[in-house]
Amino acid sequence: MREQIMNSTTQTPAIRIIRFFQRFTLAQRWEHAILFLSFLVLLLTGLPQKYRAAAWSQQILATPEQVRLVQTIHHIAAIVLILEVIYHIARAIYLMARRSLPGDIFVTWRDVTDAGQMVAYLLFLRKDKPRFGKYNFEQKVTYWFFFIGIGILVISGLIIWFPEAATRILPGSVVPAAKMAHSTEAIVAGIFLVIWHFYHVHLERFNLSIFTGRLDEDDMQTYHALEYERLAGEKSGSDGGGQS
Amino acid sequence: MAKYKLWLYPLIWLAAALLAVGVLLAVNEPGRASPPTQETEAYCLGCHSNPELSMTLPGGEILPLYIDPAQLAESIHSPLGIECEACHTEIKTYPHPEVTVSTRQELSQAYHLSCQKCHSTIYENAQDSVHAQVSADNPNAPICTDCHGSHYTHPPDEPRALISTTCSNCHAQIYQEYKDSIHGSALIEEDNPDVPVCTDCHGVHNIQDPRTEQFRIASPEMCAGCHADAELMGKYGLPADVYNIYKLSWHGVDVSVYKARWPTVWHDSATCSDCHGVHDIRSTADPQSKVNAANRLATCQKCHSGVSENWTDAWTGHHAISLERTPLLYYIEVFYSSFTPVVLWIAGIYVVLQIVRNTVDRARRKPR
Repeated sequence: MREQIMNSTTQTPAIRIIRFFQRFTLAQRWEHAILFLSFLVLLLTGLPQKYRAAAWSQQILATPEQVRLVQTIHHIAAIVLILEVIYHIARAIYLMARRSLPGDIFVTWRDVTDAGQMVAYLLFLRKDKPRFGKYNFEQKVTYWFFFIGIGILVISGLIIWFPEAATRILPGSVVPAAKMAHSTEAIVAGIFLVIWHFYHVHLERFNLSIFTGRLDEDDMQTYHALEYERLAGEKSGSDGGGQS
Repeated sequence: MAKYKLWLYPLIWLAAALLAVGVLLAVNEPGRASPPTQETEAYCLGCHSNPELSMTLPGGEILPLYIDPAQLAESIHSPLGIECEACHTEIKTYPHPEVTVSTRQELSQAYHLSCQKCHSTIYENAQDSVHAQVSADNPNAPICTDCHGSHYTHPPDEPRALISTTCSNCHAQIYQEYKDSIHGSALIEEDNPDVPVCTDCHGVHNIQDPRTEQFRIASPEMCAGCHADAELMGKYGLPADVYNIYKLSWHGVDVSVYKARWPTVWHDSATCSDCHGVHDIRSTADPQSKVNAANRLATCQKCHSGVSENWTDAWTGHHAISLERTPLLYYIEVFYSSFTPVVLWIAGIYVVLQIVRNTVDRARRKPR
């Protein structure tokens, strides 16, 4: 995908030009919205099923019909999430085939050194943060943690949804294993989401770019300096595409 | 006066006194009923000890009227002084009043009400039983005397196996299954004191219908009564944690929830007896056991129709997670029990460091 510098806006009193940079396409924003909603519903309907002995769970799962209803909602949300995952991967494969898959999200050695420098900075051993590209290593950790986590949840979820069918191909021991993996992974992913992702997008700075699709020049310079330079450089035409 | 042998008088007094003390002791002997008030037995046996004695009831049945004095003397009631008239209250003398019932069944039903006079609690319990419930439609439903006998009443559990044979009078097919089961064979062949007899699971006088939701939901706990008793299971080299591990299983969690919340709603999750059998429970090592490896798939397929051979391994048995038995589950547990804290602690510490550093940076920037 080609990032472009979006339309500038002018402010009336003092002339100040705020430039916005496109960060996410509309399709990517929709993907995030679907992922967010389906994950939330899955978590809300999954937790009472995991903690069935707890009093709060029994308020929700008050009758056998209620249990079936909650399970049905969980399954519907799961289908939505699975469709999203299929779309996401299919699109990546399609772009890869056309050799136009942007490589920004893949982990490089640079991310490891960035992480080391960032930790040094956090421990007051360095004065400045490392300069990041389009996605800093924290964002890559978020993406890949959920990519793998959702993979585990989808596979284990399908096994415990259709255990009889699954054991036609797979050994029987995958069923209790999937049950354990599903409920444990969901908790890990949920807690990680709250600690890591919520901090980075709500507290560190209120980052709405996944909903608006764009980031202003200040944020680009502060948090994605390399990407900013690349885009700004491309704009001015002075320096061509050094991938960061 | 010499001819009256005065020296004999004290001896006579002594003999009389001893006799009086003896009578008093005999009368006040603890545990003994009050002195017999109805000395009817000898009187009645005057006629009823005749083996030939019988009568034809209005319905056409022949009612034998013979009472074996020897057997009567060994029964529990007669030696306690509870004699004929205690139950046959309407018969005071000969000739007897007219017989108003037409069959032997009706006669028993009329007379078993007299059990209530002394055994009122037990009688009440029996009125709550499934036997009493079906008696309206089924004239063969048992009443007191069908299990305990009428004239020759004995302790019903001496020996213990007697209980099972008493039930077998009607439930013959179930007795056949039970007789060959691990519980039944130990009872009948070894007079084992620990295995359950019919009444241990079904109750004694207030026996309930075992096909109800309530019986089904309570049944695993019933098995646990013995099978979670470490001391008792230790005697036979059996594990006592089977019930606790079951409660963590897919089936067991479901059953626990239904038991706690909806005990009157039918549930389809497997209970002990769904897999192990009911009266025909056998040792898992027995090739005829429903849960023996040879039969396990067929047992699973009772509920999970058409599942493949692999399916049986989805059940981890009543075993805790271990490397030997359930390696996949073991490694997943090891993975998550190390991965989870490591990842969450690193994420947590990293975020805290970020908050600290950002706050310090902001504070440094301000004075400028």
